[in-house]
Amino acid sequence: MNYKLLQPDSLPEALGALAQYSDEAKVLAGGTAVVLFLQQRLIEPTALVSIGQVPDLAYIRSETNGMHIGPLTTLRDIERSSVVQGRFPLLAHACGEVGNVRIRNQATLGGNLAEADYASDPPTALLALGAQVTATSANATRIIPLGDFLLGFYTTCLEPDELITDIYVPACASGSRMIYLKYKSRSSEDRPCTGVAAIAAFDAETCTDLRVAVGAACEIPTRLPTVESLAHDEVWTDDLLREIATSYAASIETLDDIRGSAWYRTQMIRVHVQRALEEIRNGYR
Amino acid sequence: MAIGEPVPMLDSVARVSGTVPYAANLKLPDMLVGKVFRSSAPHALITRLDVSAAEQLPGVAAIVTAADFTGEDTPNLHFGSTIQDQPIIADDRVRFIGEPVALIAAESDGIADQAMDLIEMEYKELSAIFDAEAAMLPNAPTLHETFPQNIMRHAKLRHGDIEAGFAVADEIIEEIFTSPVAQQASLEPQVAIAQWKDNKLTIWTGSQSPYTVRSVLASIFGLEPETVRIIVPPLGGGFGGKGNIRTQPMAAALAWKVRGRPVKLVMTRAEEFLTVTKHAAKIKIKSGVKLDGTFTARKVTVYWNSGAYASSSAHLVQAGMLRTIGPYRIPAVHVDSYGIYTNLPIAAAYRGAMSSQGVFAHESHMDTIAHRLGVDPLELRKKNLLRTDNTFATGEPLSDVYFLDCLQAVVDGVGWHEPLPRRNGSVKKHGRGTAVMMKNTIANSSSECRIKLDSDGHVVVYISTVEMGQGGHTAMAQIAAEALGMPIEALSVSGPDTAKTPPDAQTAASRNTYMMGNAVLDAAASLRKQLAVAAAPILECPLEDLSVADGYVLVTSQPRERISYSEVLRTNNVTALTAMGKYTTNVGDLDPETGQGISTTHWHQGAGACEVEVDTKTGKVTVLRYHSAAFAGRVVNPMLAGLQNDGNVIYGLGAALLEEVAIDTGQITNPNFSDYMLPSFLDIPVELKNVSLEVEGSSFYGIGEMTLPPVAPAIANAIYDAVGVRIRDLPLTAERVLRAIQERTDHGQ
Repeated sequence: MNYKLLQPDSLPEALGALAQYSDEAKVLAGGTAVVLFLQQRLIEPTALVSIGQVPDLAYIRSETNGMHIGPLTTLRDIERSSVVQGRFPLLAHACGEVGNVRIRNQATLGGNLAEADYASDPPTALLALGAQVTATSANATRIIPLGDFLLGFYTTCLEPDELITDIYVPACASGSRMIYLKYKSRSSEDRPCTGVAAIAAFDAETCTDLRVAVGAACEIPTRLPTVESLAHDEVWTDDLLREIATSYAASIETLDDIRGSAWYRTQMIRVHVQRALEEIRNGYR
Repeated sequence: MAIGEPVPMLDSVARVSGTVPYAANLKLPDMLVGKVFRSSAPHALITRLDVSAAEQLPGVAAIVTAADFTGEDTPNLHFGSTIQDQPIIADDRVRFIGEPVALIAAESDGIADQAMDLIEMEYKELSAIFDAEAAMLPNAPTLHETFPQNIMRHAKLRHGDIEAGFAVADEIIEEIFTSPVAQQASLEPQVAIAQWKDNKLTIWTGSQSPYTVRSVLASIFGLEPETVRIIVPPLGGGFGGKGNIRTQPMAAALAWKVRGRPVKLVMTRAEEFLTVTKHAAKIKIKSGVKLDGTFTARKVTVYWNSGAYASSSAHLVQAGMLRTIGPYRIPAVHVDSYGIYTNLPIAAAYRGAMSSQGVFAHESHMDTIAHRLGVDPLELRKKNLLRTDNTFATGEPLSDVYFLDCLQAVVDGVGWHEPLPRRNGSVKKHGRGTAVMMKNTIANSSSECRIKLDSDGHVVVYISTVEMGQGGHTAMAQIAAEALGMPIEALSVSGPDTAKTPPDAQTAASRNTYMMGNAVLDAAASLRKQLAVAAAPILECPLEDLSVADGYVLVTSQPRERISYSEVLRTNNVTALTAMGKYTTNVGDLDPETGQGISTTHWHQGAGACEVEVDTKTGKVTVLRYHSAAFAGRVVNPMLAGLQNDGNVIYGLGAALLEEVAIDTGQITNPNFSDYMLPSFLDIPVELKNVSLEVEGSSFYGIGEMTLPPVAPAIANAIYDAVGVRIRDLPLTAERVLRAIQERTDHGQ
């Protein structure tokens, strides 16, 4: 482990370091993933850019139209934030499902998204919420919908000289019901075998909007808008929920790992999409 | 009296305040860092190994390769406690991925890592074999030329007329059970710090077998055992993985080459998985029964995947043979227990060694038989369990038999006959299961102790019992306190340190409380006698009229005529009295062709019963209630015994439901605690209870491991009770359960 440790204390300095080292650099935020990668020699960066001393990157700012979350905000702070719990309870819940409290005290939301580990909870919740990621380089800033940001297995569209500087979560329709349902096939502190995030709005019994994201069972969290639209303008019947769940299971290419085979993942998507929707129908918020 | 009291661990304050002096944290002045360069091929001839660039790197103190072991006056490259097949580092051939090939001692971690990158190695790959049964086939690659078909050990048991037994059976039931490779998963990794100074070797190490380490190192380096000193601080977990010899020869080889400076070798978590594992086992079990539930015959074949070198497997394979039969009256029993070499890391003892695999098989099998006969699995067990004066399959008569009591305690605990919650339409189904275990001890072994009494009234118990969190030292202090009639505060325990503490076979196999406890009693009796002899002239009373009790020597007929221990010493002008104690058992020699003989001085007995909930849509199993029982004889410390019993169950949940070392053509793919899944505290059953059964006038037989082996079969049997599927492969994963449920549905049952 012979890297150069850089500890910039301003954003321009951090971006300058990234511009200088480009793909020879790795950003260190909470370190819960990067340190393991270093120890296991899965990465061997020339420079490790620790951004812990860059000011103003840890915040939760609630606005009328949505909420801004700073990339260095820890998962524990999001989990415990009363404003997140009030507006986006599934996000607080998903962040609270990660690892254990020691990890959540250290891991950051920006780090979680930049790592793009499929076996994680927050990205699935954020995809259902329609979150956007702000990526900043020394020269430019761009705002990327999370669905475009996550490209594949541990892969994002982030350029080597870019840093996540903001995560934006747009407001949901008032009265929306939402749930993050994590299924652990092994221990209670395991990563997800599947994660299902669902958000729905209703006019009386009639659904006006449904968003369902499935994660951990596939390379990147996945939404299926055509399947979601089956629920629109409908009163939710058992048959409808079963149809949506079955369609999600049939349409998503699942992966095979130590938490379950591809076959099992497909079964679990069907079971847990249905369970998530049943919870919402039963009034979960 | 001290025995039977819930005395806290002697070092409890250090434990909760984080100051236990684990070897992993030990830093000596001028200490070097040791690292291991390992094989990346599962089976290969080394065609070139070049360490010259690494040797020249500044900050590298020494590199050790097999070349250091050639020529005169060099240590032996190969070692082994039974079969000397294991090289400290590979000679010209590697036999598993991760096998040590070269050793580095450097000034820092970073320099050692750089040196690793500078080592060049080339191989010629040989074909490799990973499955034990397949390794016995005639065309399989051979790991060790002197062991054809890779059979390292074949232990046999032949009892009764097996053919006649099956011939008279009304039903013959045959099943195959498997257990995967698992890992002992101590929180503290394997560690050895070695120093070679003035032709003396000192090792600080986490080991369950300090005297085995001493004798093997003495033999490797051609030293007198007395010039090898093994110091064992408290272990952060052992679970069998720190038994026998592990990393100590590598650390010693580095120290031998470095001369003078200490070298510290600590395994990373990934290296832990390369250092020692639990035997994967495949068990074929076949039973003949009469319709009334009487057994007529049982035939068992076990394949123990022992990895690339024998280590302790050679004798464990025989112990495992006895532990796959089951505690039942069966007139004819045949067992073939094979220890097989494969191109995998070494397998060795794992908490309740060679029991959990066999108990999973015979206790799951009991339920299958019960269901075939249409009887309650509990009743089938009760009908057939061994009782006092019955004969086991070794031909040995049994005494102190309490299987039925253990079983009754646990089934009563879970309310065996009470109705289960059955909610109509619920996808969650409840079921109950139970299992019983029996396990022999290390029957041919010895424990020694020395007790020293100072004139200030303080007692030190010197023992080589290893404190690994089980409270072994506390139990010995309690036994000594009672035997000497002293408060426990007046005692301390010292050891293991082979320069100061006398020999003990090992801290394993639930043997410490019984073996060392009796050695302590022996030493205490000797010390009491010395005190009486020294006090007789002072009290002006013949020896036979004196008693020793409560810290005093007293005249039996006039208890007020007494003198304290310290006064005895001071009056006689001695600063200390020392007494030695020893306890030896020497049975266990079984006939090699028939397995007949006396295998043990005591059978460890235990049982478990549980209630589970199975989610029929996911296959996920939740253990709601678990009750365990261990036959203790006499409990030394009820608090620590209870924690040990419960700790076994929690540990056992891992092997039952979660743990499996994933291996892809010899490469371990989950050597970390994110992917290799241990139970979380959140997985502990909401109702977790245990009982240690005591009998008036009995001895303290120990309770180390009895409640662990029943965990997996009790859960498997409860799954069957809940959803009617039989899982014969560990771990009992959600996916396996769901597949079985769906296959059963598909077959229209």
